[in-house]
Amino acid sequence: MLTFEGQKIQGSPNIVAKLTSLPFQQCQHSITTVDCQPSGPAGGMLVFVSGNLQLAGEQHALKFSQMFHLIPTTQGSFYVLNDIFRLNYA
Amino acid sequence: MNPDEVSKAFVEHYYSTFDSNRSALANLYQEGSMLTFEGQKIQGSPNIVAKLTSLPFQQCKHHITTVDCQPSGPSGGMLVFVSGNLQISGEQHALKFSQMFHLIPTPQGSFYVLNDIFRLNYA
Repeated sequence: MLTFEGQKIQGSPNIVAKLTSLPFQQCQHSITTVDCQPSGPAGGMLVFVSGNLQLAGEQHALKFSQMFHLIPTTQGSFYVLNDIFRLNYA
Repeated sequence: MNPDEVSKAFVEHYYSTFDSNRSALANLYQEGSMLTFEGQKIQGSPNIVAKLTSLPFQQCKHHITTVDCQPSGPSGGMLVFVSGNLQISGEQHALKFSQMFHLIPTPQGSFYVLNDIFRLNYA
């Protein structure tokens, strides 16, 4: 699940469709803080990020916060079960 | 109650308790609860409440701007992502903050906070 600025989207194809259709060609994320905690007995992990998002052609970077809930895969990796993104307006 | 209603009710209860009587937050955390407050890691309800009640201000008021929630998995847990302003009495400008909670259902039909991460959003 992705909640992007309040819009709820479910499933990898729909999430990727949303992220690839965002109205900019190029962007650069600069990460300021990363916090994490285990989410429970199943080995999941919560990751809480804040930073700046510079869009190509824009004068000022946008500030954002985002949280991920990572779930371990059987292959020893992680996938994103929960993703919530918010811009931090001044 | 649907998840959006539950998270909204939780957020209202949490911040009104925080703003009026921080020590009453003890009921919302358990022994395994974790708080990361501006990068500092604290575990367990007594330690978490000690941290929150020792913050260097007498009075504060949280004004919530956004609340997002999602179910966290098959056990009925809920993730709540909040942003807003924190006005500290005596200070001219409010601080902006973001916070996330992972709520776990209790057998009594309520929720407790397993995970809590708080960050100020500096300009």
